[in-house]
Amino acid sequence: MGAIGAAFAFLLASLHAFTLEDLMADSKMSPKRFASRFGDFSFQVFPYVQDPEVFLNTENGNCQDYAIMADYVLKRKNYETMLVHVVLACGAAHDICYVAQVKGYLDYNNRIYVRALQRSGRTIREIADKAADSFDQDWTTASVYTYEYSEDVKHLTMTIVKTDPPAEDPDRVIAGAPPSP
Amino acid sequence: MKDKTIRRILGFFAVISAVLVVIAVVSVRNIKRSMTSSDWVNHTHATILEINGVLSSLRVGDAAVLTYVVTGDPQNRVASREAFSDVAEHLELAKALTRDEPAQHEELVRLETLVDERVEFSRDLLAARQSDKPDAVRTLLATDAGAEALGKIQRGVEDLTNEEMSLLDDRDRTSYVQAQTTRWTVWAGVAVDVILLGGVAWLISDDIAARRRAAAVLQEANDVLEARVRERTAALTSANERLTAENLERSWLNESQEHQLRYNQLIINSISDLVFVLTKAMNISRINPAVVRLTGFEAQDLVNKPFSSVARLADGDRAAGAALFDPIARALAEGRDLRDQPALVEDKNGRITPVRLMLFPLRDRDKVVGGVAILHLGQQSNL
Repeated sequence: MGAIGAAFAFLLASLHAFTLEDLMADSKMSPKRFASRFGDFSFQVFPYVQDPEVFLNTENGNCQDYAIMADYVLKRKNYETMLVHVVLACGAAHDICYVAQVKGYLDYNNRIYVRALQRSGRTIREIADKAADSFDQDWTTASVYTYEYSEDVKHLTMTIVKTDPPAEDPDRVIAGAPPSP
Repeated sequence: MKDKTIRRILGFFAVISAVLVVIAVVSVRNIKRSMTSSDWVNHTHATILEINGVLSSLRVGDAAVLTYVVTGDPQNRVASREAFSDVAEHLELAKALTRDEPAQHEELVRLETLVDERVEFSRDLLAARQSDKPDAVRTLLATDAGAEALGKIQRGVEDLTNEEMSLLDDRDRTSYVQAQTTRWTVWAGVAVDVILLGGVAWLISDDIAARRRAAAVLQEANDVLEARVRERTAALTSANERLTAENLERSWLNESQEHQLRYNQLIINSISDLVFVLTKAMNISRINPAVVRLTGFEAQDLVNKPFSSVARLADGDRAAGAALFDPIARALAEGRDLRDQPALVEDKNGRITPVRLMLFPLRDRDKVVGGVAILHLGQQSNL
């Protein structure tokens, strides 16, 4: 009876859920529209990145699954995206997907709010400040990384350390942005 | 006094405000430093966490590889891949965190070489197991340093952790000292402000007491002044009454004197003898109507004229220089009376009338100031 019930629940969930293909097929896809699809999703920690279809079917995941999927979908919709991994002072980490065109980032913790998109400056330090602030915590490092489902490996491309002088942040040195006051 | 007190109070408040501003500035600066120190403490904790994460993830990966080699379960392969991915992530973060610590960074780079070797070995093992080459697996396992390699990594991690713990000790102490400095700054500032506010309170209370004393002294002075005014008013009223009475008396006296004068004038005017009032220089200053009747001169014709131009002693000489020896003038100068002396009066038409002359000098405090000559028209026996 239990197995039948579970199968029935999975079937119902499958009927309600959407697939990665659905997201990719959406011609009006935008960061806001993307976030609006995840309002009913629940939170659960996994020590690895979930398979996208499992994440969408179970409607269960975490910031890492959400950010990586946003990066995957929006990049293919010609948005300039950036995956940022922020390590908080408590040791926990938080992943977000920054979208340059909207000058903000998608955060799994904001998925249920009307303003699912969090406005932010475009430097990694500003993004990390904002993300850590939403937890009322300090941060220690913020890294930009890339991830492909096919490879299932995170590649850190740039790391900002909070105690380093902001003027020496790699993203500022690259972009030639003026140092923070 | 009022302005001085207000200036002092304003001065106190200016100092209190300055102290508050200084406290705020110093506290904000200390808080910023404290936050920076706190960031460094967090930084050190994160470094320790990442360094230890390298070892733990490596162990997990190593175990997953060995399990896969034994069981051939693909889940272990996936687990090992994820674990080695974590190792790389921890290493990257640890290297970033030790960028400003050259010694630790160098040690971490050495550790990375050991880790890479271990990961490479695991990948070779996985590849051999995946391609189902038991001999290759056996050869690899036989040549594997195993525990020794992991031991080296573990010692490296422990050394790094100890160095970071030492840094943590310093940074935590710095953070504590800064927090303590902030605390002392705030309390010292509060104490100074409380003392200054006490000073202001004392100043205000002293000023109020001084004002009360001044008000009492003023009241006393007003009372004395009012008493003096009352006394002076009474004295003035009394003097006024006395003066009014004196004025009345004087008015009465004046009226009486005028009356007496008019009476005397009437007496003089009514007598038939010729009366001349003379100055000290023997000039006529006044005459009675009898003179006008006898001489035909009006009073204005005779006043200020020499008496000798109208009358002289019968044996007197009218020649020049005789006036110097005029017995009438001499008698007046000497203050002597002349009585019943034969004399002559010349009228307006030059007619001579014999008379009897009497001269009475007029004195003011024993000093002759003039005289009265009376010419009597009585018997002319001696002519």
